[in-house]
Amino acid sequence: MANEPKNNKKILVIEEVEDDASLRKVLHDKFVLEGFNVLEAKNGKEGLATALQEHPDLILLDIAMPKMDGLAMMKKLRETDEWGKNVPIILLTNLNADNDKIIKEITDNQPAYYLVKSDSSIEDLVEKIRERLSRQY
Amino acid sequence: MKFQTSEAFYKSLFDNMTDGLAYCQMIFDVQEKPVDFIYKRVNKNFEKLMGLKDVIGKKVTKVIPGIKASNPELFEIYGQVSLTGKPKEFEAYIEPLSIWLLVSVYSPQKKFFVTLFQNITKRKKIEKDLENARIASQNVLEDLSVEKSKTEIAKAKDEAILSSIGDGIIATGPDGKIIVMNKVAEKLLGWKVEEAMGKLYNEVISLEDEKGTLVPLEERPLTKAFTQSTTTTTTTTTTTNILHLLSKNKIKFPVVITASPVVLDNKIIGAVEVFRDITKEREIDKAKTEFVSLASHQLRTPLTTVSWYTEMILKGDVGKVIPDQKKYLKEIYQGNKRMIELVNTLLNVSRLELGTFNANPQPTDAIAIAKSVLDEQKPNIEKKKLVMVENLSKDIPIFSTDPKLLRMVFQNILSNAVEYTAPSGRIELTVSCDTKTVAIKVSDTGYGIPKNQQSQIFTKLFRADNVRAKDTDGTGLGLYITKSVVENSGGKIWFESEENKGSTFYVTLPMDGVKKKEGAA
Repeated sequence: MANEPKNNKKILVIEEVEDDASLRKVLHDKFVLEGFNVLEAKNGKEGLATALQEHPDLILLDIAMPKMDGLAMMKKLRETDEWGKNVPIILLTNLNADNDKIIKEITDNQPAYYLVKSDSSIEDLVEKIRERLSRQY
Repeated sequence: MKFQTSEAFYKSLFDNMTDGLAYCQMIFDVQEKPVDFIYKRVNKNFEKLMGLKDVIGKKVTKVIPGIKASNPELFEIYGQVSLTGKPKEFEAYIEPLSIWLLVSVYSPQKKFFVTLFQNITKRKKIEKDLENARIASQNVLEDLSVEKSKTEIAKAKDEAILSSIGDGIIATGPDGKIIVMNKVAEKLLGWKVEEAMGKLYNEVISLEDEKGTLVPLEERPLTKAFTQSTTTTTTTTTTTNILHLLSKNKIKFPVVITASPVVLDNKIIGAVEVFRDITKEREIDKAKTEFVSLASHQLRTPLTTVSWYTEMILKGDVGKVIPDQKKYLKEIYQGNKRMIELVNTLLNVSRLELGTFNANPQPTDAIAIAKSVLDEQKPNIEKKKLVMVENLSKDIPIFSTDPKLLRMVFQNILSNAVEYTAPSGRIELTVSCDTKTVAIKVSDTGYGIPKNQQSQIFTKLFRADNVRAKDTDGTGLGLYITKSVVENSGGKIWFESEENKGSTFYVTLPMDGVKKKEGAA
């Protein structure tokens, strides 16, 4: 079992909703197990600050509905600087997978991806992260 | 002609006059009541008019039997005249002879009288016919006036009904000018009926789509009623294609419209449009959408928690799991997965019904999707030892459709085939295409669908009796969703089935691209 960060990749996990703490925890545990350097934030504002300070390799962002704070944060991040424009973001949601607004934001804010939490296994998610991190933009 | 004597003159007069004449003696009984009379003298025309012969010296009761019963008044009148000498004139119908007579009577001496009469049967008949005609025409007139007032009442009623209908109504003549408008239309449109009457429909009605673009004249439901002579009903539940009417002072409200041609003797003589303000429905619709959205989030989050934690335990990420525990955990994981699928199914139904199902067409490889769905089904196919025959054409081009929806179609019809085929059965999946369509065919040797339930198989929540008995897990939503998805994509779905022999489902999808359908959240 890989317990020390072997690839030193930093992942920022932003789960915004109170009762999603359990999901944030399980993601944290899994990513640590997978050898990632895990950073966490509880909401968009905090997430944005952490992101700009730490420059993670990838951001996992919950779209906390109904306020869509996640999407707003992504937009802001893309507007900040060159790094913010290019950091890959995986949006996590439990909303309908074909939500127009989300799809539009993803198209407008590449590189960004999208996963419905309940339809994905945690393994799928790890795979997606690895695949994304292994690519150079 | 010359007469020798005055008697001869009178005799000639007597015999040649066209009227009948009789000189009679009245007979009275002991109470001085007239009971009979005797013909003393008659002229030639008497016999002719009355159709009688040799009456001289005879009693009338003998000459015309039944006269006493039929014309008792004759005896009264003649008796009176012969006693008083006061002449009289009257009409009488002599029933035994079937003739009408106009009678003048006078008395030359007491107890004698002279009657002078004309046969007026013809005149009477004409009179009677006239009277009948008059009565008949009067009846007709009466009927007419009854009918007229009935029609007037009915018309007033119709008008009251029309103007009281709770939906807006506007009708136009063939020239598109408004001829009918009811109260609700007046209220909704802000046009006074008197103002709108005679104006062109297009002057009064402004129609916009969801985005505020004016609906072109040729696409308006009323125009279609004329040009295509079809009835058009605009949608109520889709959130995308709702039309909006603009009132005179530019107040915009969502409506449903039904416009139909008015057909009389196979000719279109106008068009009628019924419309309804659906602001309330839309609010409810929105509440439902929000509820669905909320529910999706709320239900999926704890399901994800169970799913991810169980997954990690199963993988041994938090310590070794003994085989028995693993077995149990797998049950939990599968149960949870099934719950997630159920929630997804329910969400799909809601989205279909709300019209919020988005089609996101993109270049799609149908064969790759078919293979991936087959892979998903592999465990079940192997478990039941089913023979799976795959005829996947290599010529299917990448075409534009929504891959998620196409996947849903494959998933539903393939999983049904797997689910409802007994172990060791055979399933065949064929995917082929021609220049315009992709055809999917899934046949099985399964339980089939009972004949009498085949018409209901695409109905929401419907499950055929034979499979309901075998498998209690189905929701009755799969084919309902599939049909909606296929039809929303411009395709067709149908099947052939025989109970205990198997079913074949056919789906065709157009390759010229699914129209992007936008829905709300």
